Amino acid sequence: MPPGAKGALLAGLSVLAVLFCIPTIGVLLSSFKGTAEIAAGHLWFGTSGFTLDNYAEILSKRSVYQYLRNTVLVTVPASVVSIGLGTLAGYVFAKLPFRGSRVVFIGVVAGMFFPAQILLVPLFRLFLGLGLLNTLWPMIIVHSALGIPICTLLMRNFLAAVPDALREAAILEGANELQVLLRVILPVSLPALAVLGTLQFTWIWNDFLWPLIFTQSDDKRTIMLGLVSMKGQYSVAWGVQGALSLVASFPTLFVFLRFQRYFIRGMTMGSVKG
Amino acid sequence: MQRSLRWWRLALLSLPMAVYVAIVAWPLLDSFYYSVTNWNGFSADYRIVGLENFRALYSDPLVRGALRNTMVWTVAAALLPNLLGLALAIALERHVPGSRLFKSIFYLPVCLSAVVVGQIWVWIYQPDWGALNGILGALGAPQSQRAWLAEPGTALYAIIVAWSWQQTGLSMVIYLAGLTSVPQDLVEAAALDGAGYWRRLWHVVLPMLKPATVVVVALSVINSLKGFDIVYIMTGGGPFHASDTLAVAMYDESFKRYRMGYGAAISVLLFLITLGVVATYFRELRKLDELTV
Repeated sequence: MPPGAKGALLAGLSVLAVLFCIPTIGVLLSSFKGTAEIAAGHLWFGTSGFTLDNYAEILSKRSVYQYLRNTVLVTVPASVVSIGLGTLAGYVFAKLPFRGSRVVFIGVVAGMFFPAQILLVPLFRLFLGLGLLNTLWPMIIVHSALGIPICTLLMRNFLAAVPDALREAAILEGANELQVLLRVILPVSLPALAVLGTLQFTWIWNDFLWPLIFTQSDDKRTIMLGLVSMKGQYSVAWGVQGALSLVASFPTLFVFLRFQRYFIRGMTMGSVKG
Repeated sequence: MQRSLRWWRLALLSLPMAVYVAIVAWPLLDSFYYSVTNWNGFSADYRIVGLENFRALYSDPLVRGALRNTMVWTVAAALLPNLLGLALAIALERHVPGSRLFKSIFYLPVCLSAVVVGQIWVWIYQPDWGALNGILGALGAPQSQRAWLAEPGTALYAIIVAWSWQQTGLSMVIYLAGLTSVPQDLVEAAALDGAGYWRRLWHVVLPMLKPATVVVVALSVINSLKGFDIVYIMTGGGPFHASDTLAVAMYDESFKRYRMGYGAAISVLLFLITLGVVATYFRELRKLDELTV
């Protein structure tokens, strides 16, 4: 690249970066401003009237805590279960292949390409029949299952690179496959598990479709659904909505900033889901 | 030994496979069954209506509009975020100062939920104090100001821009990963032969990025076919169904009008389109001998 071009490149990137930040900064600003300020057109430029009222408002709402609690109760078990199931399957596909295992493996992985819409009606019917609509169970179960393709794919690819000698040595010492998996394979799989953990956590936390289908009453809503339903209540209180968006995004923002490396690697590998 | 190996395979694989079949594979097939019924979502009393739903689908103006919008969306999603992501990746690969910060800024929207992204952009497009109209006013073009999401002519495109904002970071990192696999000696050899930066980029680097491009384009097409959350949040498919996608139309028919059989038929259509894309994707990947699975 010509030497003078570096400055131009930097300038171009900076302009783009500022443009890219505008939406996020807008929300951040709004969350510290009163409705009247925003309506008067002072969201972007006016600097007076910094307030924490919006945060005080949402943190005084019991339903916000309920939404957050529901989201944790869905996200944590569903992440753990999907990663666990994916590890079991990935281990078999990587270390104990059998005739036809490649076909089964591709069949499982193919599941992450298809739109969730193809599952909506039958799953609605299933949980209606089981009497589980309007509980957290359908979301936990569905996310545990929908995570299997990506978790299986990543674990299988990761474990394929782990030397077979590790497993064989443990087997010679009398360990069975489950012991090998738990004591030998899991400890060396921590990087892959970290990738999957950040990925599954973010997806399930951010999900909107499944809670929309499976819940009816306010006390069963997850935070993303709660965010939408509170829009009616605060239809013109934009600042409150902004604060709520930030609170709802905080866990995933935290995961992103803290585990950026794993997060990006996971998204690159599993980006077909979403 | 051989027998115990078989036992262990079965033991370890049965649980994940059982869950996968019960919650993913079986319901997927089951949708085909519902697509030929007139089930309303609650009543036990429904019947098989044959291909009636698909016939109705074919002549339904709402579904045709949604299909057209899905196509527009798919083409735009394959171009906008990916071209921008490619440009950013090539620029950031030059180790400009602060490239880590730049990467984080462009990547951050990926970790936000569609609900939050939708809400953010609803505000950008807000007619009275939104940033877009504000910028147009400041640039002395108030005649271009409009209610972006409330006009049938702009709603779909406004959503596509918001979507591209979120997806660009993803394409960027996939291209960055692809760039690391471009052999440096090849680039240096071209430089020794007197090729300038742009010629090297065009004739050496870009051809090597073909596998990354196949991945990026296929993923954005597949993801855009799923496009539901952000449309639902920003416009609900409106105004007058101007921004409906197949995924939104499917939800409306099934869960607002309780025509689950008809909704299932739309989901089957969406599934078959996706199947075509996925098949092409794997064929291209195999051609490139870059089988990631």
